[in-house]
Amino acid sequence: MLSLLVFLPLAGLLACWAAPAKLARVINVVTCGAVLALSVSVWMQVDYGAAGYQLEESHAWIEAVGINYHVGIDGLALSLILLTTFVSFVSAIASWKIEKQVKGYHMMFLLLLTGMLGVFVALDLFLFYVFWEIMLLPMYFLIGIWGGPRRQYAAIKFFLYTLFGSVLLLAAVILVVLQTDTWSIPQITAMAREAMTNGDTAGILGSVGLSLAAFIGMFIGFAVKIPSFPFHTWLPDAHVEAPTPISMILAGVLLKMGGYGLIRIAYPFFPTAAVDMGLMVSILSVIAIVYGAFVAMAQTDFKRMIAYSSVSHMGFVTLGLASGTEIGINGAMYMMLAHGTISAMLFMIVGVIYDRAHHREIGRFGGLAWVMPKYFIFASFAFFASLGLPGFSGFIAELTTFVGAFNGPHQTWAIIALLGVVITAAYYLRTLQKVYLLETPDVYKDASQYPDLTRREWAVLLPLAAVTLYMGIIPATAMDMYSGFIVNHLVPVLNVSVGLLTGGLV
Amino acid sequence: MDWSSIYPAVVLTVGILGVLLADLLTKGRKPLVPIGMTIACLLGAAAWALLLDTSGTTVLGVLVVDKFAVVFTVFCCVTGAITVFATMRGEAFRRPGGEFLVLLLTAVLGMNMLAMSADLIVLYLAFETISIPSYVLVAMRRADAKSNEAGLKYVLFGAVSSAVMLYGLSMLVGLIGGTSLEALAMAAQTPVTTQPMFVVACVMIFAGFAFKISAVPFHFWAPDVYAGAPSSVAGFLAVASKAAGFAALIRVVGATVTAPLQPLGDALGSLWPQGNVWFGILAIAAVLTMTIGNLAALRQREIKRLLAWSSIAHAGYMLLALAVWSEASLAALLFYMVAYLFMNLAAFLLAGISIRELGTGELSAMRGLGRRHVGLALAFAVVLFSLTGLPPFFGFVAKLQLFYAVFDQGFVWLGVIGLVNGVISLYYYARVIAAMYLQDDDDEKPAKTMKLAVPDAMLCMFLVAPVLVFGVLWWGGLWDWAVVVVRDLPYIVGAGS
Repeated sequence: MLSLLVFLPLAGLLACWAAPAKLARVINVVTCGAVLALSVSVWMQVDYGAAGYQLEESHAWIEAVGINYHVGIDGLALSLILLTTFVSFVSAIASWKIEKQVKGYHMMFLLLLTGMLGVFVALDLFLFYVFWEIMLLPMYFLIGIWGGPRRQYAAIKFFLYTLFGSVLLLAAVILVVLQTDTWSIPQITAMAREAMTNGDTAGILGSVGLSLAAFIGMFIGFAVKIPSFPFHTWLPDAHVEAPTPISMILAGVLLKMGGYGLIRIAYPFFPTAAVDMGLMVSILSVIAIVYGAFVAMAQTDFKRMIAYSSVSHMGFVTLGLASGTEIGINGAMYMMLAHGTISAMLFMIVGVIYDRAHHREIGRFGGLAWVMPKYFIFASFAFFASLGLPGFSGFIAELTTFVGAFNGPHQTWAIIALLGVVITAAYYLRTLQKVYLLETPDVYKDASQYPDLTRREWAVLLPLAAVTLYMGIIPATAMDMYSGFIVNHLVPVLNVSVGLLTGGLV
Repeated sequence: MDWSSIYPAVVLTVGILGVLLADLLTKGRKPLVPIGMTIACLLGAAAWALLLDTSGTTVLGVLVVDKFAVVFTVFCCVTGAITVFATMRGEAFRRPGGEFLVLLLTAVLGMNMLAMSADLIVLYLAFETISIPSYVLVAMRRADAKSNEAGLKYVLFGAVSSAVMLYGLSMLVGLIGGTSLEALAMAAQTPVTTQPMFVVACVMIFAGFAFKISAVPFHFWAPDVYAGAPSSVAGFLAVASKAAGFAALIRVVGATVTAPLQPLGDALGSLWPQGNVWFGILAIAAVLTMTIGNLAALRQREIKRLLAWSSIAHAGYMLLALAVWSEASLAALLFYMVAYLFMNLAAFLLAGISIRELGTGELSAMRGLGRRHVGLALAFAVVLFSLTGLPPFFGFVAKLQLFYAVFDQGFVWLGVIGLVNGVISLYYYARVIAAMYLQDDDDEKPAKTMKLAVPDAMLCMFLVAPVLVFGVLWWGGLWDWAVVVVRDLPYIVGAGS
């Protein structure tokens, strides 16, 4: 079942390759739709109240070194898989506009989808790493071939940054596998938990220093993807240059890989090191939130502004994680899901106006609300969702993260992070005013040049808006799905290690 | 006396004479006859080597047949055969003449002897048997000034490093009182190795090896020679010649691996817990070689020079495996070499084909190749990503095993330096890929699309398919095999884990 889910896009890729170029778009949308449907049927089969992984498949792969093809999911992975298939589906629709080398584009798109899904289902570190890296290749080409004027620079910057993170991750993985003698993620997680319950602060690596080094290696590896300050500088370039659908996937799904890696691998493997580094991670998160928001405010390029707002919002993910509290980590996960749909929407909104105006200068727009009223409604919807207005998913995410952070050990820093929320509101409202309100310049008054949303744009924006609204009103659907691992496993282990580090008392 | 172990060498020798004769008799009118003979004889020698009894029998005490020797013989013969094909498809000459084939066969013969050598004198002779034909192979295109210059540079560097090595060998022989590796292994157990002279001798011998494997600081010849030589010959030097150098290095280091701590002091000893003179030399050389190789490659604008620097960097990774010296690291080295054979021969073959088609090796000329020459560009991209060490390609698992072994021996810092070097290498490999795929905005419509000729495509498939297949499947079996080969090595007393 899961293998089918992961490799179905590859079948689509082969179909794309064999079919004539004009069919490529259709094949991509159909494949993404099938994958979405399949992921929903997986959802129906998973009982996320149950402990452990479900729909597991395990086959010996490279027996000589104990590597298995081992896949399986729990609610945590499931929530992100649903996000992935959903965002990919709407991005596939948004990809209709791509005219250059159509066949190659859709093949790369589908390869990317396989890599993303693979990361979320892999339960073997080798498999995880292979999928993790496989994503880089199509992304490099998608930015590099179909991107904007500085695409070559952006593509290689993205590639180098993430590969640098990846090799540190690989180094940490090798250390872990050397000590534990297994590549299995569930087994290593169990070992780390056992070490904690036995009061062994040295953890799976048998040494406090080595654990710390390995945790830092993994943290950097994942933080580059998130991207956390100070590893975020590839993101604005990649986003600005990437074509709209790829920006949507990049912000909607790829950034979530880093958070998933932290929750699934880095924190459970090295709970003591994670608690040790909590303050550091909190500080970096707060810098990302506040600094990201300030930089977003300073942008004149619409897309670049959205990109920096991603840096700022992903800071909440690490802030919630660093709190080590149940509600904080749940909030971090919620932020990932909420940001997934909201940021995809925001990039689509930039894409819509870029397609018409062929520029993204905030200062050159004005009064678009009077020309394209339906577009304006979606834009303000996305803006308010992103700045955390109650009723939208972003609000739930920020609220829970802050509650968690205030309950955690690093409250002072959480207070500073509140500043970020205010600045976020400021730049969104300012942009809303500059782009959509005020006087309409004459260039934008031509209705034939600036038609309101097309049917295809509706098809992209409406589902995203619906999910954002749904998640803002009924957060339990998503939260129940993923919280099992966090509540039953991660937080207890982190609490034990806090106890160990502070001298016995939990 | 069991002579069967030198039959592969006999096959090669007969082949050399046969090809020479065939070339004379056909007067170059039927070029396919000597080419066919050469390939038959290379594959015959490889097949015969595989049939040999590998229980470690020695011939006259100077040649030893173990699995290791067989593996390297097969490795070099296969590389030689691919080189012949690649030469026919590359940029230099469509039909390599008899003298080219004879020289190639002679070099392979030298490699065969080197892999089997159990004696320092034979080792040196085999070294020269490889070097001298290589000098001529490089300068083969007489009309090309670059080729001549490359040949001359190669001779000069080769002669100097060879002389230094010989001097080191003479000192070593004086110290241990014998020329066999067995004598060396026995002497390594005695205090003789604590003499400064021993260290000096080791360093000098390393100079010779470093030249062959193009390790820093004996690497200066490589970019000029690779750029000047036909790309098939460059591939041969980068793969077979380098592999032979590593084979000899493994034999010599293996014999002295148990030598007690050198007089350089405890400072080094604490850095290299094994406390052997070689580890300091090899680790420093490894770090310098990969770092300098990668950094210099960043600036290259010509494909063959770029590949030359990249092959220097790869020698650094392989030296890393030698420096940490364990059963796993040697197996990883062997594993890496197999991956390297496919990746690098493919890279040089593709470079040769693209130079043939485009008329130049400049990266800027490769613009838009991804659309004009789909097959060539795709194969090139796979090979370059594999050389970078990205999954799901062979180069990734080779690096994984190598760094796993390095970490296993406790050298986390060496491993991290190596891994970060992999990131640096991405930049220049990606430049080639960027030229082929990312820079095509001059004309929306490609001028004309080209397809790989059938022989090109078949040769590419033969080299590129393993890069893909071994990256995902079957590499476990290859790894098991590498471990078996390494366990069989004589004198590797110190190999732990």
